[in-house]
Amino acid sequence: MKNENRMTFGRLPRVAAAATVVLGLIASAGPAGAWSLEEASAPYKGTTIRTIGEALPPLEAMDKLKHIFEERTGITVVIEMYEHSEAVNKVMLDLNSKRGRYDFILQPHRELGRFVANGHLTPIEKFMDDPKLRDPGFKPEDVLYQGLWKEISWYEGKPYGFPFTALTMYLWYRDDLLQDPKEQAGFKAKFGYDMQVPATWEQYRDLAEWFTRPDEGFYGTAIQGRRHEALWYEWLNFLYSFDGDMMEASSGSECGPIIVNSPAAVASLDYYKSLIEYSPSDTLNYFWDDVMVAMQQGKVFELIMWNDATYAVEDPSQSTVSGKMGFDIVPQGDGGKVGQVEGWTYLIPEYATNQEAAFLFIQWMMEFDQQLEQHMNGGASARPDVYGHPTVQEITYSKASMDTNAVAIAKPTIPESPEITEILVLELSNALAGKKSSQQALDDAAVSMGKLLGDCAPLKFPVM
Amino acid sequence: MSVRKRVDRLLDKGVGPLFLAPSVLLLVVLLLGPFIYMVVLSFTDLSYALPGRDGNFLGFDNYRRLMRDDPVFWESFRTTLTFVFGVVSTEFVLGFALASLLFHQIQRRRFVLTLLLIPMMLAPVTVGLMWKLMLQGEFGMLTHYLRAAGLLDPQTALLGDHRLVLWIVMLVDVWEWTPFVTLVILAGLLSLPREPFEAAIMDGARPWQVFRDMTVPLLRPILALVALLRGIDAFKEFDKVFILTGGGPGNATELLSIYTWRINFRNWDLGYGATSAFMVYLVVLILCAVFYKAIYWRAGGGQG
Amino acid sequence: MTRAWRMAALAALIVVLVIALTPYVWLFMTSIKSRLDALADTPVWLFTPTFEHYPKVFLDKGYLPMVFNSLVVAGTVTVLSLAVGVPGAYVFARHRFPGKEDLFFFFLTTRMAPPISVVVPMFLLFSYVGLVDTRTSVILAHSTFNLSLVVWMMRGFFEDIPREIDEAAQMDGHTKAGMFFRVLLPIAAPGIAATAVLCFILSWNEFLYALILVAFESRTLTVGIPGLVTPHGTLWGQVAAVAIVATLPIIVFTFLVQKHLVRGLTFGAVKG
Repeated sequence: MKNENRMTFGRLPRVAAAATVVLGLIASAGPAGAWSLEEASAPYKGTTIRTIGEALPPLEAMDKLKHIFEERTGITVVIEMYEHSEAVNKVMLDLNSKRGRYDFILQPHRELGRFVANGHLTPIEKFMDDPKLRDPGFKPEDVLYQGLWKEISWYEGKPYGFPFTALTMYLWYRDDLLQDPKEQAGFKAKFGYDMQVPATWEQYRDLAEWFTRPDEGFYGTAIQGRRHEALWYEWLNFLYSFDGDMMEASSGSECGPIIVNSPAAVASLDYYKSLIEYSPSDTLNYFWDDVMVAMQQGKVFELIMWNDATYAVEDPSQSTVSGKMGFDIVPQGDGGKVGQVEGWTYLIPEYATNQEAAFLFIQWMMEFDQQLEQHMNGGASARPDVYGHPTVQEITYSKASMDTNAVAIAKPTIPESPEITEILVLELSNALAGKKSSQQALDDAAVSMGKLLGDCAPLKFPVM
Repeated sequence: MSVRKRVDRLLDKGVGPLFLAPSVLLLVVLLLGPFIYMVVLSFTDLSYALPGRDGNFLGFDNYRRLMRDDPVFWESFRTTLTFVFGVVSTEFVLGFALASLLFHQIQRRRFVLTLLLIPMMLAPVTVGLMWKLMLQGEFGMLTHYLRAAGLLDPQTALLGDHRLVLWIVMLVDVWEWTPFVTLVILAGLLSLPREPFEAAIMDGARPWQVFRDMTVPLLRPILALVALLRGIDAFKEFDKVFILTGGGPGNATELLSIYTWRINFRNWDLGYGATSAFMVYLVVLILCAVFYKAIYWRAGGGQG
Repeated sequence: MTRAWRMAALAALIVVLVIALTPYVWLFMTSIKSRLDALADTPVWLFTPTFEHYPKVFLDKGYLPMVFNSLVVAGTVTVLSLAVGVPGAYVFARHRFPGKEDLFFFFLTTRMAPPISVVVPMFLLFSYVGLVDTRTSVILAHSTFNLSLVVWMMRGFFEDIPREIDEAAQMDGHTKAGMFFRVLLPIAAPGIAATAVLCFILSWNEFLYALILVAFESRTLTVGIPGLVTPHGTLWGQVAAVAIVATLPIIVFTFLVQKHLVRGLTFGAVKG
């Protein structure tokens, strides 16, 4: 069932890019369609729509682009930017108090199940089926990575929005050090094989060991060991790669037998723990921000990190290692090539006062021009034609991003999923701190998950 | 009676209720209201996360769950108690020592005292931030000097080690609040009458005898007051620990307030969160009642 | 005391002062260090200061409105708490009525309410009345603990005024209310000033209520501080700049009010 979740793209990017260009030419060459943004938005001129999201470059890019929309439609767009957990909290509070403060929201896709189950969202079909609002030129089923769209913005067979960012994690490493002949010679002497981009976990660890030099302030790697979601996200790479998973379910919106304490999972956690000795001293207090700073400051050799943070490590104004980096898919274990899907999605709350205006804005943001602009400014678009664009292709990490997207595994999006994350974060933290063994921690996590989910998720590996 | 006289009457006799009513009203609405709502919530299953849990009445289920089924709560309780006893006793000893020092030895007290007060006047969030900066594992100033002095090995960071982190957090609290204890005890020392002390010294009493048999007993009400005030505030501690460690690593620094926050704002289990919140409030209320007795004991019958 | 004791005491005091003040000094230095200096492996004590972080965070990042919000909130809270609390304190000081001390105890418990216990019900109640998107919700929340502070502190100040003054004023023909406004208040002015400053400080520094109850446009400075810890990398220079600005009024006010701090912090039980 894991294979069903793998999305294959193959030649899709190039074909879709070509198709879009051709279609675009035809569309602009022929007689103007009856639909135009100016006409569709006329009834909403003068309204203000408000949204909320994470204070990161993709949202900042949206903030810079919105004036074009505002000038064309006369609709004002207000964007509230918060750090990650506040962005989630504020939306939760707003939806539950039904105040309708936000006309559309940007949320991590794991929250989707929770919102749908509690009746907080309006399915996007309502607007897509409305000829007054829908731009006939916008065909999400053609222009988006279907797998990503389904994982990030669909729940129980219905779409609720479109991907704002399609995130995944992959390998970051210091290519300059990898190419350094002195390092290569020393490594070969010690480990007996040529230094290369780590394709297996043994290689990853060997490289981490080789590059751990505390007296020089340099470490092989850094793990995001803080008691924070970042820990869970990072560990998932290892879990999947060791051929483990949290539950056996064929899609994110179902629950199934719990396998988070399987032997493969325990092995992955043991391995993950073993990386602590090759990490900076307070790695157990790090989350994604800290490991990125570590890499930017040239303090670590390799990391497993986010595609949407990569621009920051390649930006000469904040990073001392820009131009020295290499990127690739995460090393493989028994699970083969894997990655994870994570994303923030556009959603329209049921209580929003300006749903139609919000939809027009979202639809406009999903157009190629805006998506390209956003992507070039640190975003992570879900349109293949963006990835096919020559400028994007030149970005050093585009290939790693696309390769990982192609093999990403879905996560649970049932209403309980944020609580599942909390349980795992706690137990992983306990295991990393040495308070519990990996087996004990994952057993406890499985038991807690079982209690939370009830009968639909029996423990496949029962705990005595 | 003429209107003028009626108004005057009101401004005379009616002053009591007129002046007092607004504050009582405001507090009843703003605090009693939420308090009652909190208690009510604790008997429901309200959850923002799980569908169908709209606030159905659960009887005592939440309380039973807290008492029997929630080892994390009790561990958090233990952590909080360790924190409270640890910081209050340390601040006490250090504060008393510092107050005595200032009392006996230092002339320009006011200026020194004002400087000393800065730790406690800063926003707790800022305090958490400052110490986070200094204790950071790679570029933290304190971490660096501790390692240079050989007290810390390069692979350990104070905030990342679950055995050390609670003590560190307690040390930060001691740094922040010892000035408070110093200030109050100093005020107490200054308010003591001089003659009995001078007489005792003339009679040949030694300093530690004077301290044990005179200073401490006379100061006892004030000491009780300080201990209780600090105890209550320590029990409620949230801001700086939240910034410093977020309750981690693991649950090493998960104080009750942080645990309650997690139930409410991570799990969105508002019914159960209210139960936990109520327990915290209960302990504080009990401590308040004890404190109240203490200061009125000191005043010897109350003021007004 | 002998010379040696003197010296030892002075040395101890200096050590204590260094411990008390160094973290703050370090924070200030971080706010004027370049990123490289701030994140250097070996702590840097001598460096070329740069003031770039201040305009960057307050102007570019738009944190200046937060200063304004903090000012408005703290100011309004102070005025509100004083307006409502000072008359109330007077009643406790001068009048006798059944249940007086029990009512006073009630005021104490409101000061002691753990914010975490009350903030969720408060949020829910405020959303029912539609107050959540405004500064009003935070102002009201802060008033809960400041109101009792005012009552407790001012009761002591009023009790310090001899009753003879009251009697003299009444013989002059003032009504009770008139006497309160025209005679007692001016006398109690220093106490009111001290109380006002304490109110302001407590509201300015507050975190949890502000975090939960405040909307985007009305965010206060204390809430803005954690918001600077982002996946871009914690911009320590900017975080420190915000924190320093947040502490400026506090430092100033502490110097102004330290005489009356003891009374305020011990609820009037100790005079200082």
